[in-house]
Amino acid sequence: MMMNKSDVQSEVLFQQEFAIRGGDFVNAGESSCKIRNTLREIGIDSDVIRRIAIAAYEAEMNVVMYAENGVMSISVYREEILLTIDDKGPGIEDIDLAMQPGYSTATEEMREMGFGAGMGLPNMKKNADRFKIMSELGKGTRLEIRILLDDKNG
Amino acid sequence: MAERRFTHSIRVDVAKCIGCVACMKVCPTKAIRVRQKKAIISYDRCIDCGGCLRVCPYNAIMPLTTQLADLDRFKFKIALPSPVLYTQFGQEVMPNEVLTILKEIGFDHVYDEALVCEMINVATEEYLDENKRLRPMISSMCPVVVRLIQRLFPSLCGNILPIEPPREIAAKNLRAEVCKQHNLNSEQVGIIHITPCSAKMVSINHPESMAKSHLDGAISIREVYNKIMMKLKKETGMLMMQTQNRISGIGIGWAIEGGEIRGLKYTSSVSVSGLLDTIRILEDVESGRLKNIEYLECLICPDGCIGGPLTVENRFVAKSNALRLMRHFGGKKRVNSALVKRLYSENFFSFKWAVEPKSFPPLDKDRNVAIQKLKDKEILIQRLPGTDCGVCGAPDCRTLAEDIVRGEARLEDCIYYNEIVQKNRKITGDKNETRRSR
Repeated sequence: MMMNKSDVQSEVLFQQEFAIRGGDFVNAGESSCKIRNTLREIGIDSDVIRRIAIAAYEAEMNVVMYAENGVMSISVYREEILLTIDDKGPGIEDIDLAMQPGYSTATEEMREMGFGAGMGLPNMKKNADRFKIMSELGKGTRLEIRILLDDKNG
Repeated sequence: MAERRFTHSIRVDVAKCIGCVACMKVCPTKAIRVRQKKAIISYDRCIDCGGCLRVCPYNAIMPLTTQLADLDRFKFKIALPSPVLYTQFGQEVMPNEVLTILKEIGFDHVYDEALVCEMINVATEEYLDENKRLRPMISSMCPVVVRLIQRLFPSLCGNILPIEPPREIAAKNLRAEVCKQHNLNSEQVGIIHITPCSAKMVSINHPESMAKSHLDGAISIREVYNKIMMKLKKETGMLMMQTQNRISGIGIGWAIEGGEIRGLKYTSSVSVSGLLDTIRILEDVESGRLKNIEYLECLICPDGCIGGPLTVENRFVAKSNALRLMRHFGGKKRVNSALVKRLYSENFFSFKWAVEPKSFPPLDKDRNVAIQKLKDKEILIQRLPGTDCGVCGAPDCRTLAEDIVRGEARLEDCIYYNEIVQKNRKITGDKNETRRSR
């Protein structure tokens, strides 16, 4: 995917990638857990970790629920943390609608399992400092979640 | 707030420790290393769960609790037993007998905390009704859970219910009452918890939510067990109803996992016990996965306090005893809700201050260095065998890798690594070949 000019930034200090399999509810949540531990070890503020953990978990669940597979990547920069999720999946038809709290395309079965409350994307946005969503019908979706780091440890 | 020291309730008896790896392997926060054939506990990481105490085959891990002899400094001594105590002496023994004997072995007064448990339930409901922003709220009853959250889940400190546990509230109330009744000043009165775990000692010596605990110490159930048992054997049938305590089934229920939430009106409450399951559910809370749950009761010991490391009766029998006592005394509430609500509004039950995060230090204070160390660590993990044997003195290969990048251990501590190096030397004859081998 091409980067916009505004996305070009300082050198990436650390990067980790995780493959997520669609439909794999058993292992769902593992990647967000690993991300959390990594960020702790490099001394990221616990409130930032909490926000990333929530966004990562929601994003991971979205891939598990709707897509065939996906890749979640976490990149640490001097001034921010970037979480991206690229999936191969159905794509989102109407992004504005999908961003509305409570809107969900989850099946009855998923809802019975307690998923699909329609809060996933709004929750990610709420926890992000910058949130970007790009989607192509029939191909997939890319999410970019950025959380700024205050610079005291940088 | 000034720095208060994080001291602990567990010590290694170096005379008894032979340096096996049993304790190191079970430590949930990886606080133990074996160096020169002795276990060493890092008190920066220990949360006083007592896991090491349970597994040590040589009795080399000592709980540091109050001794009966320590009580002499008080003019008026009060025992405040955990309801677990009632479950330790078999089917025929009733709580009032236990309390009566407890008084005889060196206390001026004994107090059952059952009514206070009911009060805490009402106060918890008041809090949950008034504060709906953050969910789930997590019980603060188990001091290890509080410390686990501070250490491993610092971002959840705000989810800890800011209400003191029954033992503290009972002691607070008792001290005021007894001082007035017997015309004593506060320091002359010693209020001692009879405890199933050593962690209560830490919460008494170094409380996380107030400057000074209302309790003066904690004596382990093990320490009073023999004395109570001997008297029970001698004086059967002569001990009935010498105390005015009114035991309740609800109070006894708090000894078992689920006892706290059983008394709450909120139906979307969950109770969890045991170390691993507690860690697992807190991970879910941190992911925002359990927001539809109102209240979470977590107890570190398996099955709750009856599974405490300083109990005597095995926890399955103790649980059976507790369930029988609960049936016997019934679940009728006696609490005066109006009074509790008034006290709640006066902050009688509240924390003085919020529990603060105490996260483990990162690999380095400088983030760039920390990231470099994290990369080094990943490379080291690839080099280590991954068998987690513990011979190096760290609990597993990952932790050894972390110790190495922190400068606290060396790659040569790994016996497998050394073996490979030796082999390579033989094959290549290259004495400098240490870095590239896997």
